[in-house]
Amino acid sequence: MEKITDYKYALDESSIVAITDQKGIIKYVNDNFCNISKYTAEELIGQDHRIINSGYHPKEFIKQLWTTIANGQVWKGELKNKAKDGTVYWVDTTIVPFLDADKKPYQYVAIRSDITDRKKGEEDLKKTLKEISDYKYALDESAIVAITDQKGIITHVNDNFCNISKYTAKELIGKDHRIINSGHHSKEFIKELWTTIANGKVWKGELKNKAKDGSVYWVDTTIVPFLNTDKKPYQYVAIRSDITERKKGEEQIKKNNEKSIEHAHILELKNAQLVDFCNIVSHNLRAPLINISMLVDYIEQSEDEDERKEVLVKIKPVVNHLMDVFNELVESIQVKQDTEIKADQIMLEDCLEKVLRGFETQIEEYEADIQLDFHSAPIIHFPQKYIESILTNLISNALKYKSPDRKPVITIKTKKEANDLVVLSVSDNGLGINLVLHKDHIFKIRKTFHKHPDAKGFGLFMTKTQVEAMNGKIWAESQPEKGSTFFIEFKNQHI
Amino acid sequence: MNRIKTLILVDDDGIFVFLTRKAIEQTKIVELVEVFENGLDALNFLKENKINIGVLPEIILLDLSMPIMDGWQFLEEYTKLNPTMGKKITIYICSSSISPDDIARAKTISEVTDYLIKPIMKDKLIDLIQQLG
Repeated sequence: MEKITDYKYALDESSIVAITDQKGIIKYVNDNFCNISKYTAEELIGQDHRIINSGYHPKEFIKQLWTTIANGQVWKGELKNKAKDGTVYWVDTTIVPFLDADKKPYQYVAIRSDITDRKKGEEDLKKTLKEISDYKYALDESAIVAITDQKGIITHVNDNFCNISKYTAKELIGKDHRIINSGHHSKEFIKELWTTIANGKVWKGELKNKAKDGSVYWVDTTIVPFLNTDKKPYQYVAIRSDITERKKGEEQIKKNNEKSIEHAHILELKNAQLVDFCNIVSHNLRAPLINISMLVDYIEQSEDEDERKEVLVKIKPVVNHLMDVFNELVESIQVKQDTEIKADQIMLEDCLEKVLRGFETQIEEYEADIQLDFHSAPIIHFPQKYIESILTNLISNALKYKSPDRKPVITIKTKKEANDLVVLSVSDNGLGINLVLHKDHIFKIRKTFHKHPDAKGFGLFMTKTQVEAMNGKIWAESQPEKGSTFFIEFKNQHI
Repeated sequence: MNRIKTLILVDDDGIFVFLTRKAIEQTKIVELVEVFENGLDALNFLKENKINIGVLPEIILLDLSMPIMDGWQFLEEYTKLNPTMGKKITIYICSSSISPDDIARAKTISEVTDYLIKPIMKDKLIDLIQQLG
């Protein structure tokens, strides 16, 4: 008997104990019960046990509890109860029915322990877990997600990743992440990415990736390293969004800009040509016209027959000169208007052979040394008649303005350069041109720089016109008494 | 009638030189007409004679478009030379160019008295020379 009293004491001390009759009317509560429910024993005894019902559990749950204990069986479970002040608490509950001789319960002993803290922890955890799974859901729905291990082996991809990369999850998992590498980015760029995330830092940037079918797509990418307790990344989560359309737009804008700049440049060139043309009309056509008009005036006013005759013979050469300038202008305008002229494939060696044949006599007479070097670019694309005319003019100049002190050495070579450019150069060791004085004029019509009977000032003008008609460039380097080099840059030489 | 001693024509245009010389000779107000075919020849002459006041001209009629050294280049060099010249020389540009750019450019050069557009009438020539006297 003493032992039972000891047990009861131990139970009262350790647990929350209540006894109800078979109808659920409270007959006994211990101090622990009063403490947790915040009722006094007086307030509880004689009351229905439902006084501490929180209303949290469904009817079926409570019904099952009562069925169990009414059938004389022990019920175990977790209950949420309500204290007097309305706060709730969780108790781990064991209800033991005490049976009479007919095996009918005549009272129920409920032994409880407070698990409110544990329950709260569980609830918080559940809430957090739910939140996390909501986040994951939101992320999976909205973004392209992949997870790799620390070596870059894919361990997880979501549907969006599969859709954009055109691989199935099966094809991706276990593969190196480089499977979608487009090769667009530089080694340095990729290295910087890996260094960042391997150091546990978040990397953000725009990546061009390649899908299974070879098409490429742009993704705005954030890679978050997940760190272990040693702060070492054990996996990387890559979250991406598709920015292909935006990138396409950007590329288009860039292309359009480049085109605009090119058009503006061509327009500028055309404008400069127009200004040149106006100057030519103003200087070179007006001058002989004035001469004719002055000569005619003079003849009209003169009363001396001999003088009239003397002046009259001067008209013809001026008319011839006017005719020459006029024909040259027409020729240059034809080049400018002939924008549709097709580029031919020119074997420079053959072309030079043909051009040099026209200079055979002079080359022999001057003992000129002609050196050719086309190994860097043996072929150019340019209209045949233009290149022949250009080379003829440049070689003719090199021979015409040779130094009286030395035999002419003329070097003609080509050099292949970046951006599909080829530069052709013609160098001589002749008289040279003082570029400090004549820089602005060397390619202008009717400009001459040496006293030579055949100097007309048309060759370089025409050469420049032909080069620029094909959007090329021409320039010169020269030193008096040393020689000159003319450079021509040919565009769009896809070789 | 005022008379001057020397007039220099710097012009490669044979016809213009021929007719201008004739016109001036008819007026008999210029003792000597010197001709240079380009700026460099004229410049060298002036350099060689910069203190030789007797052969320096009172007036230069300068063309713009010439080979070897054109009128602008001549003016650039002459501007450097001017402070050491033994005599004040009046320079007129005589050009067939009607380009407003050329005319505006000429205005910026203080050594140039005026810009004359060819053709130049005999009366105008006489006027210029009279103004000097």
